[in-house]
Amino acid sequence: MTDFHALLRILIENDVEFIIVGGAAATAHGSARLTFDLDIVYRRSSENIERIVKALQPINPYLRGAPPGLPFSWSAETVKRGLNFTLTTTLGSLDLLGEVVGGGGYDQLVSETIKVGIAGIECLCLNLESLIKVKRAAGRPKDLEVIAELESIRDETVNN
Amino acid sequence: MNGANEQADKDLDPVIEAYKKDVDVTLIRENLHLTIDQRFQRLMELQQFAEDLRRAGRKAHEK
Repeated sequence: MTDFHALLRILIENDVEFIIVGGAAATAHGSARLTFDLDIVYRRSSENIERIVKALQPINPYLRGAPPGLPFSWSAETVKRGLNFTLTTTLGSLDLLGEVVGGGGYDQLVSETIKVGIAGIECLCLNLESLIKVKRAAGRPKDLEVIAELESIRDETVNN
Repeated sequence: MNGANEQADKDLDPVIEAYKKDVDVTLIRENLHLTIDQRFQRLMELQQFAEDLRRAGRKAHEK
């Protein structure tokens, strides 16, 4: 199980700049679908990468699905060399995304966010229209049902 | 969005419209009445339930 509250809390407490995207963003907008991980787009500045590394260190981030014992060191160097990381942590699954297809990185997406309050924590979440846009851009078959639901949420919101 | 991407996006429309017929709008309406905090609380409860079901399923197969 992913402890969304605890993951968000450690990111906020460490001043990490990030935007909630993916299934968790869909939940924030009213989706009834079950998601098991927290997807965030993080700002790719050196300072922010340092903050992410420090924030996640205590919860033992490791590459999800990778065989145990694989040499993986959680460091700013590692994050700088990569872009998107699918991690498992002691608080659950966390996907760190430097960019998303059809949306770009943090700096491109930050103007397309809304502020949401979750367990007393205020975070940025991709707005519904942009969430639909990036899901459409990804064009994955598994997203088609998700897009249909998100567009239905938009219709419900507009009609009420 | 360039021309090819726009076309690809438009091509998705009939497929998405077909999927929309199966979206349970009653669940969406119920969720829209909740606060964002309550939506996440429900999501975590559902995750826990799914995990419990998996565990029970594994146990049943072991017997």
